[in-house]
Amino acid sequence: MVGRVKCNIDASFLANSDKVGIGICIRDEHGAFILAKTEWLNPKSEVRIGETLDLLSALDWVHELQLGPVDFELDSKRVQILFNKNITRRNINRRESSKSRLMEESEEEKKYESERLWSWGAGTDGQLGTGRLQDEQIPQQLSLSSVSSLACGGAHVIALTSGATAIFYLINSATGKVLSWGRGNSGQLGHGEVVNNVLYPKAVTSLDNYFITHVSAGWSHSGFVSDTGCLFTCGDGSFGQLGHGDYASHSSPVKVSYFVDQHVAQVACGMRHSLVLLKGSLSNQVYGFGSGKRGQLGVSKDKIKSINLPEVVNGLEDVEIVGVSANGDHSAALSVDGNLYTWGRGFKGFEDSHLPQCLNSTLKFTKATLGWNHALAMTGEGEVYMLGGNHLGVLSDLHTVRQAKQLTDSREANLEKVPGLDGTKITDIATGAEHSVLNGEIKTWGWGEHGQLGLGDDGDRISPVTASLGYDLNEAASTRVYCGSGFTFALTKP
Amino acid sequence: MSYDDVEIEDMEWNEELQSYTYPCPCGDLFQITKEDLKLGEEIARCPSCSLYITVIYNMEDFLADSNQQKGIQPSKQQPVTVA
Repeated sequence: MVGRVKCNIDASFLANSDKVGIGICIRDEHGAFILAKTEWLNPKSEVRIGETLDLLSALDWVHELQLGPVDFELDSKRVQILFNKNITRRNINRRESSKSRLMEESEEEKKYESERLWSWGAGTDGQLGTGRLQDEQIPQQLSLSSVSSLACGGAHVIALTSGATAIFYLINSATGKVLSWGRGNSGQLGHGEVVNNVLYPKAVTSLDNYFITHVSAGWSHSGFVSDTGCLFTCGDGSFGQLGHGDYASHSSPVKVSYFVDQHVAQVACGMRHSLVLLKGSLSNQVYGFGSGKRGQLGVSKDKIKSINLPEVVNGLEDVEIVGVSANGDHSAALSVDGNLYTWGRGFKGFEDSHLPQCLNSTLKFTKATLGWNHALAMTGEGEVYMLGGNHLGVLSDLHTVRQAKQLTDSREANLEKVPGLDGTKITDIATGAEHSVLNGEIKTWGWGEHGQLGLGDDGDRISPVTASLGYDLNEAASTRVYCGSGFTFALTKP
Repeated sequence: MSYDDVEIEDMEWNEELQSYTYPCPCGDLFQITKEDLKLGEEIARCPSCSLYITVIYNMEDFLADSNQQKGIQPSKQQPVTVA
């Protein structure tokens, strides 16, 4: 046999049978069928074990057949990651990785190869996911290990679970499950009921038929975007922030029909408004709806109290926007060229802006996050700058009242480099209402009354301080940080 | 130091709390009752933290018509549609 061949494998687990089914299919480089076989294994094992045995069986068979280069394809990301690591980490080139090693790694994998999640700060609505209605001043590790990304709002959290682990836990489920917890008194959790708090992560089952790829949590409303570009919103609609053309609130996600013929890429939920970014639409790509009193909708230079249907944000024509964010009464968009546009409530010393303003800076930003009175922006070099750092979330001393800065045309005067990072390359940033978090190490500063800085006390900090998770972040391939109004999450991935 | 100045029309009437409320950065709500407003109180406090806001309002609006609230129309919380 010459040329490259492809080997697809999968294992099946039947509810009413004590065995694992294994299927192996080999095709040539043109996709033409060569050989296939099925096997039964007794007794039935856990999914991760079954998937591992499936791969082992395929390796044995391919070896036996003396096939040339083989590409294996399987849907268990865990087995795939673990197998690749096994080869690279230990430099094992032997084709027949021993059964026992794979099995042993499979057991170890739970310890070393899964996502880890910590939370701290304000917790009296259950938003920390600890199962307790109390604040935590020290990072708490959660047992939830399948999370791929998070969105944190006023007092609620929405989580997307990763495909690999969804397969691990729920054999027949697809990827991209949505979980939510915390305060639910406006229906923002999307569970179809109004409850004061949900203490533990609970599935948003009405979205089961969609693959949700992006979520956002506002003060008391939520937004969900599917891979097919559908937007769903739920929670408080009193200001039109759900975008359904009325002021009704909903406790289950409802599709925003305004965008039914469009492909929504992102949603950003603020205190009482929402922004939407469309994919592949350069002229009308960013929309706003909800409360507009501080200019946060960016749809008109005139003062708008609120709108309940999406309208196009003005002044971003001819700019390719790659990200939008909203928090408090602020809005922001980031262009593909790294320019940052902000509108809405003016940062300290500046007036409200009813239309997007491009930050006058030569810096090129890759990510920007908003608080209620400040913003952080990160460059591709891993440097972090702060806008409006004159309030609680601040770099300057809280109790030293600074002289009001003169209003100038150049908004760059308002941009301060976050000090004390000593050249550490920052990989992620997040902003709560009045606190900030970044990582390389996890560093926090700003308002700390509820323990949201994770430093073991309720004090404020005027510049970044390292918060310990009790875990070596170097062991993680990536770390992400997320902030709700008064609380913080950190997520590490293997 | 007052966290913010907020106009009464930007506050929401919360039936359960019998108070006008506004989001607090801690996640809870700044709250002030009609009775407080009638007395000329302008500080709305958060029950969960040390922060407070200054409420901008016209006291006469509350003294003139305490039952009907014709003068001002703050946003009311909407009922939540279940399911």
